[in-house]
Amino acid sequence: MVNPSGARAVYPFVAIVGQEALKKSLILNVIDPSLSGVLIRGEKGTAKSTAVRALAALLPEIDVVEGCPFQSDPHDRRAMAPDARARFDAGERLPVQRRKARVVELPISATEDRVIGTLDLEHALKEGAKRIEPGLLATANRGILYVDEVNLLDDHVVDVLLDSAAMGVNTIEREGISFTHPARFTLVGTMNPEEGELRPQLLDRFGLCVHVEGLSSPEDRVEVVKRRAAFERDADAFAAQWREQTETLGADIAAAMARHPMVEAEDSILLDIAKRSLAMGVDGHRADIVMLKTAKALAAWHGRDTVVAADVDEAATLALPHRMRRRPFEDVVR
Amino acid sequence: MTSACADYPFAAILGQEQMVLALLLTAVNPAIGGVVVRGQKGTAKSTAARALGALLPPGEDGGKAPFVTLPLGATEDMVIGSLDLEAAIANGEVRFQPGLLARAHGGVLYIDEVNLLDDHLVDGILGAAESGVNRVEREGQSRAHAARFVLVGTMNPEEGELRPQFLDRFGLAVAVEGAADPETRVALMRLREEFDRDGHAFAQRFAAQQQVLRQRLAQARRQLPEVSVPRRLLAFIAEICQRNHVAGHRADIVIERAARAHAAWNGRAEVTADDILAVAPMALLHRMRDANPDMPPPPPPPPPSDEDEPEEDEEDGQGDHKGQDDHTGQDEPPPPAEDESPQPPPASPPEDEVQAVGAPFPVRRLQNEGTDRMLRTGSGRRSSTRSATRQGRYVKSTPRRARDDLALDATIRAAAPHQRQRRQESPSPLAIHIRPGDIREKVRERRVGNLLLFAVDGSGSMGAQKRMSETKAAIMSLLMDAYQKRDRVAMVVFRGQSAQVVLPPTGSVERAARLLADLPVGGRTPLSSGLEETSKLLDQARRRDPHVLPLVLVLTDGRANAGLGDGPPHEEALRVAAALGQRHPQARFVVVDTEAPGMIRLELARKLALALGADYLGTGDLRAEDLISLAKEHQSW
Repeated sequence: MVNPSGARAVYPFVAIVGQEALKKSLILNVIDPSLSGVLIRGEKGTAKSTAVRALAALLPEIDVVEGCPFQSDPHDRRAMAPDARARFDAGERLPVQRRKARVVELPISATEDRVIGTLDLEHALKEGAKRIEPGLLATANRGILYVDEVNLLDDHVVDVLLDSAAMGVNTIEREGISFTHPARFTLVGTMNPEEGELRPQLLDRFGLCVHVEGLSSPEDRVEVVKRRAAFERDADAFAAQWREQTETLGADIAAAMARHPMVEAEDSILLDIAKRSLAMGVDGHRADIVMLKTAKALAAWHGRDTVVAADVDEAATLALPHRMRRRPFEDVVR
Repeated sequence: MTSACADYPFAAILGQEQMVLALLLTAVNPAIGGVVVRGQKGTAKSTAARALGALLPPGEDGGKAPFVTLPLGATEDMVIGSLDLEAAIANGEVRFQPGLLARAHGGVLYIDEVNLLDDHLVDGILGAAESGVNRVEREGQSRAHAARFVLVGTMNPEEGELRPQFLDRFGLAVAVEGAADPETRVALMRLREEFDRDGHAFAQRFAAQQQVLRQRLAQARRQLPEVSVPRRLLAFIAEICQRNHVAGHRADIVIERAARAHAAWNGRAEVTADDILAVAPMALLHRMRDANPDMPPPPPPPPPSDEDEPEEDEEDGQGDHKGQDDHTGQDEPPPPAEDESPQPPPASPPEDEVQAVGAPFPVRRLQNEGTDRMLRTGSGRRSSTRSATRQGRYVKSTPRRARDDLALDATIRAAAPHQRQRRQESPSPLAIHIRPGDIREKVRERRVGNLLLFAVDGSGSMGAQKRMSETKAAIMSLLMDAYQKRDRVAMVVFRGQSAQVVLPPTGSVERAARLLADLPVGGRTPLSSGLEETSKLLDQARRRDPHVLPLVLVLTDGRANAGLGDGPPHEEALRVAAALGQRHPQARFVVVDTEAPGMIRLELARKLALALGADYLGTGDLRAEDLISLAKEHQSW
């Protein structure tokens, strides 16, 4: 398994105690990556990061053009970086590598160059030619871009992130380089609201939003400590202990993904969604679209081919809370 | 299979007639000067702007008209053009590498989130847009090339406004918002569903309609030169602009051009009053003199000379105006808070009453927003500053060495012309010979948000006559401003026996707002204690960042009646204030007097301001326009 955060063993997703909404929102994003991510709000120490890192093991395998730093899709011309596309157009058979989609972490100290890409220093000096050194947006293409403490991210990095999250494309116009490559990623962010809110614009880019809190039952809390201790004592043994459940979950997700394209929603369901959005006074139409997608992903997850009202209920709790129409603090001013 | 949103066909955009029309009109007549689309997130702004690219008629040379996207992170050299690196290195040739402005010539320059674009880029673009020529004076090059393009920008006003000069450069402006009826929303979801399922098939389905649009556009462009405007209608245009007090003559010109495009789009060779009424709101929305760009559009203009205008045309036009009205008005400065809060009779407020927040209003700027020369750290948008860390936007390069932040591109460009000679002088395995004199460093710039510290009087005297409600409105307005500027905020409240830091410095302006709403009044006024707490907070802030520029707003009526020691509380407060002012020369203080006007005024707050070396304002003053000049007097800020 590819884990860019290091060789450290990863706590199994299925071993996380409680936090059902968090887990489900992540799973839904695996089923339908076009849900465009989750914002996880909550205090410190509530398994936010653990869950996101653990998710890597559950991600599906994808085909990429071997050696392509932009994770070009060998089967879709439009999802290729310029280099791969040129080779494709020239009739070359692109080498295919099958690997898991990745979770790429964007540290909050990251500079703009590092995020969007920059001039390749070594190449420029040795060859006298300019070449792009891909940034995190390239690495995260077709995977998950994870930003811990996303509300502390530097303002101009947020702007850049918004730019490419909106278009699914990263456009670089800097340092003598003019370059565009696909950058479609699922944005997963965590934040502690005490340290500042997100700009509404960025907030809206997260498909779903969940609030996590510390577990309230003493039994659960004890269980968390026990499992953590077991994991730290022997990570491999711990993983083995959870392997069966991990595999079951993986199979369930795979089944839901297979079913997902078949899921249909009737007009009455769509009308229900539209009315909910209007009642909540959301901005624009993204809430409707995300709610519908979420409801469909939920139906697929529950093994159904049609969306039912309960799916919409659940989808609304995930897709609406962060989209209520308000100016920066209208809820407070009232 | 997901597809890039660039592929969404223009013809498949549902509703948003104004936006669609504005985009088509600029495509018909690029001389209109572009469109800025303002609106909430998720209203297909970007989708529509990008979709326009596929419809553009071919450029002058017959080739495909360019549609160039300007990303927010672009560097200056890439926008205006610079030395061609590879040519310089390989052949020692000084060749110009055209920038985005050159690439956009004859087509569209599209800027998403245009209000977030850095000022230095804005200036370059403005210059070219204004003259149609891009002048490059850098790296030993001096040249100019034609750069005529249509500017299309999208923005969400929540994130801050555009500079008025920049706004004015856009010929038309339209405001968009989401559909209000469920049926339209359902139709939109279905379209999106279909598009997401198979973008290619979706494009196929709309191919015929796209083709119709494309042809109509090309036809309109051909017809445009022949479209004439009757003389009496020119007077009508002038009258519209006059009535609405728009600054300058650009609106007149734009309306004329847009009306001609509108006529051509509808296959007519002569402009009618109808055409003018259809386009005028779009030309006026962002040009009304009374500052607020979201202002309601003009009242329907009087009928033009009625000889040959059918009556119904008139009505159509008015309908358009009303449609605009629905959306706007929300940002209009509301009247001072009076309404909502059910208030007890003002005479004797009960202890610990919580007054509602009055209606907020736009605040005038509280300080200079120019770039200072000092290196600072931080993030925000109130003041821009040169950045001392490697964070911040790479703006341009400098030969001055201060840090190890190499601007490689500029360094190579500096070295490039000498390559041939140096290669002969000394062989090296590297492709480029760089000498110390070539080295350029990056100049980075970032906006620094300031610390906004509120010291709020929560005593019983503030409860009288809704004083607290108005004070809260003032703070709320400042908080809104702070949000857009990404300031950090902190709040100290003094009431009863002591002062409390209710909100340590935080980026969460929302939290401050929430606290504010729940802030009670009651008890005595421990002003000295409030000032002391403020001083401690400022110390902390300075320890965290020595270059911080705090703005301290003391909101009080100045009636100190609880002291730290035994002396008269009021005199003590003035002493503490003087010490505070001296201790923190880097901070700027503003005392906002909450004493109600009209009464016999004690003007205690004015004395406090004097002792503190602070600016003195009444709550009413916060909403006036002249604060800018006040800020400019303060060179220290």
